[in-house]
Amino acid sequence: MNTRKRNQLMIGMAVVMAVASITYACKDFLNTTSQGTLDETSLANRTGVEGLLIATYRSLDCSSSSAGSWGCAASNWVWGSVTSGDAYKGSNLGDQQPINDIETYLWSVGEADDYINQKWAQVFEGVSRANATLRLLDKVVAEKPSEIPTADANSIRGEATFLRAHYEFEAYRMWGNVPYYHETDTDFRLSNVGVDVIGNILSDLDAAIGLLPATARDKGRASSWTAKAYKGRVQVYAGQYAAALTTLREVQATGPYALETSFDHVWTANPAYENGPETILAFQASVKDGEPAGWNSNWGERLNFPHEGSHFGCCGFHQPSQNLVNFFAVDANGLPLALTDPNWNANTPAYRDTNFVGGITAQAVDPRLDFTVGRDRTPYKNWGLHNRTWIRDASYSGPYSPKKNVQEDGVDGENNVGWQATQTNDVNIHIFRYADMLLLLAEAEVEAGVLENARTIVNQIRARAGQTAQGCGHAASAVAESLLVVAYPSCAVDDRTWYPMDQSATLDSLNTPWATYKIGQYPGPWTDQAAARTAVRYERRLELAMEGQRFFDLRRWGAADTTINNYLSSETTRRGYLSLAAAYAARHNLYPIPSVQIQLSKVGTEERLVQNPGW
Amino acid sequence: MERMNRGKGVFRALGMSVLLALIVHGAAVGQAGQVTVAGTVSSATGQHLQGVTVVIRGTTTSTVTDADGKYSITVPSDAVLIFRRIGYREIGQVVGARTTIDVALESAIAVLPEVIVTGYTTQRRADVTGAVGSVDVASATRQTGASTLQRLDGRVPGVTVDNSGSPGSRTTVRIRGVSSFQNNDPLIILDGTPMQDTYLNFLNPNDIGSMQVLKDASAASIYGSRASNGVIIIETKRGRPGRRTVNLDVRTGIASPVKGYDSFLITNSLDYFQVVKAAYQNAGLAVPTNIYGDPNNPSVPAYIYPNDGVHQTTDTLDVSTYALTTDGKRLIMPGSAGTNWWKAVFGTGQMRDANLSVSGGGEDNSYLVSFNFLDQEGTAAFNRYNRGGIRVNTAFNVNRVSVGENIAVSRDRSYGGLDDAGIGENNIIGKNIMQQPVVPVYDINGYFASGKANGLSNLTNPLKIADAAQHDINTNDRIFGNVFGGLDAGRGISLKTRFGFNVGQGSFHGFGPATPENSEVTSVTSITENYNLFTEWTWSNTLNYVKTVDRHNVTVLLGQEATKGTNRFEQGTCSNLLTTDVNSRYIQDALCDPSTKNVFSNGGVSTLLSFFGKADYNFADRYYLSVTVRRDGSSRLGPDHRWGTFPAIGAGWRLSHESFLQNSRMFSNVMLRFGYGVTGNQQIPSGRIVSQLGGDRGDTFYDIGGTNTSVRPGYKITAIGNADLKWEENRSVNVGLDLEFLEGRGSFSADLYQRNTNNLLFDPRLPATAGSANPPIVNIGKMRNNGIDFSLGFRGTLGEATLWNVSFNGSHYKNKIVEIDGVSQSFIGPFALREQNPTINQVGSPIGAFYGLQADGYYQGDDTVGFYDDGARVGRIKFKDLNGDGNITAADRTIIGSPHPSFTGGVDLGLRRGNWDLSATFFGTFGNKIFNAQKYWYVFRYFDTNVRKDLLTDSWTPTNTNPKYPRLDATDVFSRQFSSYWIEDGSYVRLRNLQLGYNLPPAVIRWIPAARVYVQAENLFTITGYTGIDPALPAGSAFGAAGDIRDQVRGIDQGAYPSNRTITIGITTTF
Repeated sequence: MNTRKRNQLMIGMAVVMAVASITYACKDFLNTTSQGTLDETSLANRTGVEGLLIATYRSLDCSSSSAGSWGCAASNWVWGSVTSGDAYKGSNLGDQQPINDIETYLWSVGEADDYINQKWAQVFEGVSRANATLRLLDKVVAEKPSEIPTADANSIRGEATFLRAHYEFEAYRMWGNVPYYHETDTDFRLSNVGVDVIGNILSDLDAAIGLLPATARDKGRASSWTAKAYKGRVQVYAGQYAAALTTLREVQATGPYALETSFDHVWTANPAYENGPETILAFQASVKDGEPAGWNSNWGERLNFPHEGSHFGCCGFHQPSQNLVNFFAVDANGLPLALTDPNWNANTPAYRDTNFVGGITAQAVDPRLDFTVGRDRTPYKNWGLHNRTWIRDASYSGPYSPKKNVQEDGVDGENNVGWQATQTNDVNIHIFRYADMLLLLAEAEVEAGVLENARTIVNQIRARAGQTAQGCGHAASAVAESLLVVAYPSCAVDDRTWYPMDQSATLDSLNTPWATYKIGQYPGPWTDQAAARTAVRYERRLELAMEGQRFFDLRRWGAADTTINNYLSSETTRRGYLSLAAAYAARHNLYPIPSVQIQLSKVGTEERLVQNPGW
Repeated sequence: MERMNRGKGVFRALGMSVLLALIVHGAAVGQAGQVTVAGTVSSATGQHLQGVTVVIRGTTTSTVTDADGKYSITVPSDAVLIFRRIGYREIGQVVGARTTIDVALESAIAVLPEVIVTGYTTQRRADVTGAVGSVDVASATRQTGASTLQRLDGRVPGVTVDNSGSPGSRTTVRIRGVSSFQNNDPLIILDGTPMQDTYLNFLNPNDIGSMQVLKDASAASIYGSRASNGVIIIETKRGRPGRRTVNLDVRTGIASPVKGYDSFLITNSLDYFQVVKAAYQNAGLAVPTNIYGDPNNPSVPAYIYPNDGVHQTTDTLDVSTYALTTDGKRLIMPGSAGTNWWKAVFGTGQMRDANLSVSGGGEDNSYLVSFNFLDQEGTAAFNRYNRGGIRVNTAFNVNRVSVGENIAVSRDRSYGGLDDAGIGENNIIGKNIMQQPVVPVYDINGYFASGKANGLSNLTNPLKIADAAQHDINTNDRIFGNVFGGLDAGRGISLKTRFGFNVGQGSFHGFGPATPENSEVTSVTSITENYNLFTEWTWSNTLNYVKTVDRHNVTVLLGQEATKGTNRFEQGTCSNLLTTDVNSRYIQDALCDPSTKNVFSNGGVSTLLSFFGKADYNFADRYYLSVTVRRDGSSRLGPDHRWGTFPAIGAGWRLSHESFLQNSRMFSNVMLRFGYGVTGNQQIPSGRIVSQLGGDRGDTFYDIGGTNTSVRPGYKITAIGNADLKWEENRSVNVGLDLEFLEGRGSFSADLYQRNTNNLLFDPRLPATAGSANPPIVNIGKMRNNGIDFSLGFRGTLGEATLWNVSFNGSHYKNKIVEIDGVSQSFIGPFALREQNPTINQVGSPIGAFYGLQADGYYQGDDTVGFYDDGARVGRIKFKDLNGDGNITAADRTIIGSPHPSFTGGVDLGLRRGNWDLSATFFGTFGNKIFNAQKYWYVFRYFDTNVRKDLLTDSWTPTNTNPKYPRLDATDVFSRQFSSYWIEDGSYVRLRNLQLGYNLPPAVIRWIPAARVYVQAENLFTITGYTGIDPALPAGSAFGAAGDIRDQVRGIDQGAYPSNRTITIGITTTF
């Protein structure tokens, strides 16, 4: 009995002690730390602030946290190009059908809404990252004054403020009525009614101009000149022409920017020409950077390559329209045929309808055509001759391919990972380039009545365009090279990707086996404001074709309804599916605010975001 | 813990007998003479036992205890009395000088049917006041699925089970609806160790001794911390004292899909062309000629190769130019008169299952060792699952201390790289539907062919997908078990400690092929490898006290428990393999392009600490009361809110023991039960108390220096923290009634409940203006479930030799979101299918309600609302302008259906005559809707996919104005806006199982003492109006930032791997 009791006691005590020891050991048992993440304190330093700023730049194009499709593209090819008459969605009828809706102005049909939301999410992610940078900068500067030298702190603040202005401007161009978020905002359901978006953007840009250094800290960053040029852009968009003149003339006169010597140096994967004098702001695409899916490349553009049979393999989106191709036709003076010939876009001659192929020399064209549009029997950069079999479905979307966003062969510009490595390249995406800025200045000069200044700018642009035209290239493969040489024997001994044009006082010209190139300058003086306006706008279309600007230009000019409805009525004869398009109406002047965001903006039953008129 | 409890019973019994032996030894010195001995025999829990045989060892002299457990017998003083009753451990007592010998009998080691484990203790079934469902283990073994969880299907009212037909795939179990936006998986207590696992593949179903489902809080709240979704308690088999028993069960079967796409998709190329032709002509577009040539005289081309979409591909074909280059530029394939893509990929699969167990035990030990091997082929090509496992369960008695262990070691492997449900357009099912009949399986040189050439759909050959994934192996190794010790401290007090562990490691090796045969070529090959390791341990300590005074019975339990889980995951990828040989698929610089190597790892740590107590009282088996309190602390929650208290109360009243019913001839048992309790949920990722920052190379890193080939690090806030995170609470009320009638031949049980979830853990989506950081998880929503579960059973005889039984169980619940985040009334999502969101969570509606426009027939051209600019055309689906603004927009969307059934039920039938037995199980679900997302493909022909056979004949035309489908129109994106047109009734009734068995008489095979052979069929037929393959959908795979959100996307058919029709033969033998 005693033994039993002793055993019992001993074991009982052991258990009690075990329980007690667990409990004691558990004093900190419930304090576990999150694994594999950083917290706010570990980044409360210069590394953190600079890192948040870099992430703010990164939002210029789609990233792995963006929605999976192409509404987020830096170039706005869906929003500014496909909807403008410059380009079709391309590919075939069935692929990326939400863009079919967007192209045909059916913006309220179910699937378009999500695409529009991608753009919304992309720009406000940029705003959010900019504001996070500014908040952390304030915190670090306050808590560790010596951590970041003042000059750098100013640049960081200036860069983040500039980027916020850029993203808000993108939102403004899309939707007009948008909320404006500052780093102090904590309520993310701000209203979009009665917001002075332009005022806020300009105020941010002014602040940035005051903070930024004249020379950017890195190629990809903003300088005070970037912000100044951008300010002029915003002023033109806002119709503040007088103010724009002041701003942009200063940049023109004393800024660091210039036009590239050759048009093919503007959009390129050639490191010798990237980030040249014409770049004001560009998304810095990179490849082979260790990212396993190629996200840091030209992600937003990666569908926009020729399809089967080409080096790229896929996917045939963002195809130039016949209307755009025809617009490159020039008259005997090398000026746009559209200025003088009301039938410039007629279906006769027949090649204007569908087959504007190389070798048809009867119609002279602006040399920029073949740096902008891939067309059959014409060298496609240096990949060989563009070929109809590269087109995914010519019966649906015509015979042309986009060209500006494509890398050249031989410059190590493409990727080695991902779904389609040949379509992810390091061609920087221009968001704002000097030619664009000059043409905005020309616009402001016209509106201010200083027509000769506008003519000077337009001629400057045309003079550059007259420097070179598409050359033979050395084709990428032996097969492609032999096809090239069979078609054009002279190419056997000539592998330049560009040819110099014959220069003369008013007309630059060149005959190649695949085209007659001509480009002339406008003889002076300009005296008719309306004619000058037309010339500037035409030049803008030619120079910036396929760059995602035109739709916003048309809206800014108040010309969208006439231009687009004319486009639809003529282009329907070529692309049957356009007959489904809704007529462009007043409501199309602003994209609808994504319905999901309106819903998320609800406080109780009140929608803080108010839908744009007509949607 | 409950396991320990059973172990404790064993050990206490063993301990007591050893103790008694000591007493006997000490007392055996007296003189022999005749004495009269009397006493009382009771059970370990204090109930007086009637019918215990008391026999003098070595004689036939005996007596039997009366209703109060009393006996009296005259014996020689040196006699030994043996006390026996079926279901109890026999014990002996030396009489010695005593004239009073009171004895307590322990339950036999084997779990008796009426004893169930309900949380750290056992209870008699009749004493349970909560809602507890017991699974008929014998009936459940008739299913052949790899996972034990699948065998819950249709067995317990209020429990639903969803899984795909892919062997070894995930199983989603829901108990009484859905109570949270987050993870609603029940807690599993396996041999006393808590865990959550939606596969449970490591557990050999043949090892299961018992399975209970605790459905309401009064039963489950003893497991407070994680019990809000219900608790499944599984106890594995163990040895019984006595002779060694060897069981060998072997079965083999053959499975085929319950239905295939070929039963309703077009399999003739020219028939398909007629659809294409009509779709283009109706849209006013030129009909493509590149495949079939002249639309008015179409022909299947001899060859197809890539072209521009204008010329029929045989025009200029030179077969000698064929080359399978990585870019596929010159691939040539023969045109097919009609490829049956379903048959190309799906067929029959064999299964084999073998179990061997050896068990036995002595007075102070028991053991069971079992071995299992399972091999199941999927019905899809190259899809396979196999498992091998060993289990060792032992228990020993040393004095009054008991020790033992239960350990299972297993490995399982899945082949074929299918995701959990095998669903979605990127999987072989999705690919299957997307291939047109004109595309052949192979090109002219025997390589895989695909949609090369325009108009043939973008997507990959499904057999190629399967072929490329045949070496994709997912391997899981697991050691799961516990060691335990118990002490019988006497006076009804016992102490137990148990250390449970769950250690697993897994790996995956996957291959991404190049697809030169595709329209959208992928030229890069890649491999992915990952490894994960997790460890979870639980240490629990309990004290149990049992006291019976007169007719008052009291049981008290006190306990403490600590749990810690850690996990780590590592993954590596590499692209551009130098050779795709399976033996070279390693991440090494020499084997792939080293610049494409990428690795990462992540992990988590979480802990739980708990204290609990429970008191049960019953008076004369007539009035019952139980009170439970549990306090849990969780590391996942905010420091000031991490402790939660989870009380519960249960009460029962056995009316049949009252005088007014005592002599009822109708009812032998009538019990009313009531329970109320609170349970908790903290199933969110750990570490969400504070904001998290991070960066991803593809998201925040950037080439700011313009180098073209390098990026600089960038960071962003990746998740917003919430220091105020606290427990989600579920308050449930349950009222139940149990009846036994017709002399025990009939039984009825029903439970009525309401479950209210408060402080619902949830990460409401923020507007995009807040940025892309994961929103904070907050405790703000409220959800409610009301429901009823019932079961009804009868058994009887037909003549002398025939026994029959039938049981019917059913349940109904209604789920309702009561509050979301205090700001919004609804949120859409969680994700889009091809840019459209099919679901919404809205206050007043159930979770995951279907959302879209209201379809209203077709536009006929005379519609009073007129035509809109936005795509409405004659023959297209007409939608209701619900907000009356004259336009059909996203603002006209409304709730268009619910995936939740209004009723689910099962019927079990059994018949036994002589050596023959026959059983059948039916399952039915009624009133649930399915969002048939496959209509994207087989109705709307998105991406030029294959379509349903009746599309050509039953689409809108001017003469067929009320057809099944809208007008064929290649440009119609208007009709396919998500709407009620996509919603179908998902009700079905299915014969889940039919089994015929024959017990071989012992003499038939001399060396087998007992054997049973059987043949069975699973899913033999289904009655349903659903037009897709299989209305029994697996849960979708959906993860949000706050964890698993499967329940927000229920009932969406994204092309799931269909259920299997399996015919099996088997033999069960005992040696």
